[in-house]
Amino acid sequence: MVMNSMNKGFDAKVLRKTVLDMAYAGSTVHIGCAFSIIEILAVLYRDHLRYPGNEPLAAGRDYLVLSKGHGVMAQYACMRELGWLKEEAFTHYFADGSDLKGLSDSRIPGLEVTSGSLGHGFSVGVGLAMGAKLRGSDQKVYAVVGDGEINEGPIWEGALFASHHGLKNFMVIVDENGFQAMGPTKDVLHLGSVQSKFESFGFETITVDGHDEAAIHNAVTRLWASDASLPKAVIAKTVKGKGVPFMENNNMWHYTRLNPETYAQALSAVAGGAQ
Amino acid sequence: MRAAFSEVLVRLAKADPNVLLLTGDHGYALFDDFRRECPAQYINAGIAEQNMVGMAAGLARAGFRPVVYGLSAFIPVRVVEQIKLDIAHDKLPVILIGDGAGFVYSHLGTSHQSTEDIACSRAIPDLSVYSPADRFEVTACMETAYHAKAPAYLRMGKSDRGDVHSAAVDVKIGKLLQARQGKVGGVAFIATGALVRTAIDIAEEHYPDATVWSVPSIKPMDGELVVTIAKQSRTIVTLEDHSVLGGLGSTIAEITSEFAPVRILRVGVQDRFSHYCGSYEYLLKEHGLDRETIVQKICDFLALS
Repeated sequence: MVMNSMNKGFDAKVLRKTVLDMAYAGSTVHIGCAFSIIEILAVLYRDHLRYPGNEPLAAGRDYLVLSKGHGVMAQYACMRELGWLKEEAFTHYFADGSDLKGLSDSRIPGLEVTSGSLGHGFSVGVGLAMGAKLRGSDQKVYAVVGDGEINEGPIWEGALFASHHGLKNFMVIVDENGFQAMGPTKDVLHLGSVQSKFESFGFETITVDGHDEAAIHNAVTRLWASDASLPKAVIAKTVKGKGVPFMENNNMWHYTRLNPETYAQALSAVAGGAQ
Repeated sequence: MRAAFSEVLVRLAKADPNVLLLTGDHGYALFDDFRRECPAQYINAGIAEQNMVGMAAGLARAGFRPVVYGLSAFIPVRVVEQIKLDIAHDKLPVILIGDGAGFVYSHLGTSHQSTEDIACSRAIPDLSVYSPADRFEVTACMETAYHAKAPAYLRMGKSDRGDVHSAAVDVKIGKLLQARQGKVGGVAFIATGALVRTAIDIAEEHYPDATVWSVPSIKPMDGELVVTIAKQSRTIVTLEDHSVLGGLGSTIAEITSEFAPVRILRVGVQDRFSHYCGSYEYLLKEHGLDRETIVQKICDFLALS
């Protein structure tokens, strides 16, 4: 198996620093939501997503649907690596009249859906996958959902459809960080085994450490290599706030804004590659 | 009207292989022709309307022209947020069909009755709202919505009330169609859907000077035409099998109040659910939308002026 090459960019430390810089610039929230999907997005952008000509709207591209729109800063950070966003977008995040919002907005080239209201992107992704199948295209669709998000009913409606129609070009990646807005998922609305649920809906599934880039890459590669006409699910076991010890598994960082002290501490932790 | 809907849908789909029909497990006999003529363009998405509308957005992004069919109690009411975020926000060319609007399902109760759908859809930016009254209007509305390549909601109500036009019509976005010619200074009846036939019948019998306008395209609406009508009319009576809150009557009142104030009688559902079971005609009567009650309301209203 060819391993990821870090020289192609999408270094997790750099991505986390970008998120911190923009969160501090915009005095915004949802840092923990972005940090749990850093490695997932890094692997997808570096090794799997195809954008002919490095064009975010290229015909025939693969689709990355960030259904959990709250993690959008992680996606902005990746789009920065691709040169799709100007530096000003980061230094002036949340400025009056600026483009980048606090949740995913499909009017930004590179963001495929408008999400944040949860349970939308998954279905749009199923539609994109169905469209590719009808056209005989080899385009692939990745839908990144949160474990809190899969409380939403349309996720399971879409899972039934993807399975029934054998959408083998559709892959859901569940960011299972164990938290949702108001607390641990097991306390709010217990999910049980996410893997078993997707398996029972007819998905081919693999559970991985969602911060181990090689493991994520191998899981994605193995699932696409499957001959079965089944949609795929990667259950990524992640840590909300990953990369900054005082944010990890601390749900306050769903809502908390950085101040000069926490910003400096977080930058230091990220630079040190705290695990 | 349903036969005309089926016919125009099959015609559009045969001419454009990108047209896909998505249904939420409804329309069994209605789509017999479509399934026979265009089987590869037919998708039964199951009883899962939220996913169906989200998927339609994905299919539209992939270059298809989805037509999404359901009962109007579900499409658009159950899926307002999917329409707003997934479709209208990006002006995706998806046509949403809400069948059985008003009191078509008179015996089934509140679950299947639909008198909020115009209000729910009308406030969504970039979403056009159509409400045809007969077979000629449904054909024209579908053709206009298809060629507009924009988000559209088409409301289909009681379909066997008889024609209101005598020949094919051209539905332009926002234009009212004259269904009966009256005289300047007479009462203007502005009606939509199943109530257009009622308006014509009432005018014929009681108000020979009244002009009757049918509104197949509720949003956007040509305000200038409405203002002209208001200025040329003694008063306006709007008629719809929809709530008086947020529907056709509200639309006309909003426009006229700003540019040509005129007294308006809004005939519609008075912010209440149905209480009883019964035939379609019975339900109209329960809501005061039968001919006799409407005539009395108009008489009382005119007596006040």
